[in-house]
Amino acid sequence: MNDYGITWKHLASLFLAVVATALVIERAPASDEAIFPMPAGKTYVNECGGCHTAFAPGLLPARSWRRMMAELANHFGEDASLDEPQHLAILKDLESLAADGPQANMRMRRISAAIPANAAPQRIIETGYFKYMHDEVPRHIWQRKKIGTPGNCVACHIRANEGRYGEREVRIPPP
Amino acid sequence: MKRLIPLFALCIGLPAAAQTPQLILESLVAKAGPASAARGEQLYRAKSKAGKTADSCAACHTDNPKAVGQHVKTFKAIDPLAPVAQKDRFTDPAKVEKWFKRNCQEVLDRPCTPQEKADFTAYMISVK
Repeated sequence: MNDYGITWKHLASLFLAVVATALVIERAPASDEAIFPMPAGKTYVNECGGCHTAFAPGLLPARSWRRMMAELANHFGEDASLDEPQHLAILKDLESLAADGPQANMRMRRISAAIPANAAPQRIIETGYFKYMHDEVPRHIWQRKKIGTPGNCVACHIRANEGRYGEREVRIPPP
Repeated sequence: MKRLIPLFALCIGLPAAAQTPQLILESLVAKAGPASAARGEQLYRAKSKAGKTADSCAACHTDNPKAVGQHVKTFKAIDPLAPVAQKDRFTDPAKVEKWFKRNCQEVLDRPCTPQEKADFTAYMISVK
């Protein structure tokens, strides 16, 4: 007991409150962390992620994905056709997790709002959001052997196949 | 007996179950003739004029099947193809068929024959 009436109990509860707050801050994803919902199961990553990053569906609006899935037999010059059950399952996931889909978060709505309603972009790197987010990346970085093209998300966003594009998880491969 | 295992698996509908590269090779050989690792290596390295993006298997998978490859267009890293370097290679028959279908079409502009698939698999298993 001292002149101010502060007991060890007060100090202990203050200490506990600080620790609890610190833990909550530590664990919560930062509000600016770019985390996108991904289709459940392995079909999407196995099929779409076989040749390229399993791009988060929330990076394009549903109309873009519908067109892409309809043109899989000529997918950027390659035949990427899928079996009927996989095709239907993936299309359904893409539609529900799209940038303008029913589960869209703030970031996804921003992505879709920047795309004209009459456009169905097929390349994520051509969307306004992508360009805005990467405008500080100089050309020589993209040209590094392990990156090669801005579409190779997973080269730097090492957890892109889990929908995680947060800046804190970026690892740019050395030249 | 060992040769009959893939047959049993087919009969009771278990081709999706995890297998070994050797079992997968045996079931490919059953549809073709005896496999030749040397012919498989030729196929792996042969340059094809029909390829739209990649002109050979080695274009993406590199000259060394034990090395990490890279897709020539998307630049995505590709796990090594040889089972000695990547132990889940040639253990899932559906996956093996899927990639033969995709990549033979891509490089050769036609499906691979059962003999080519058997030879190719024999080569991959022979890489030590």
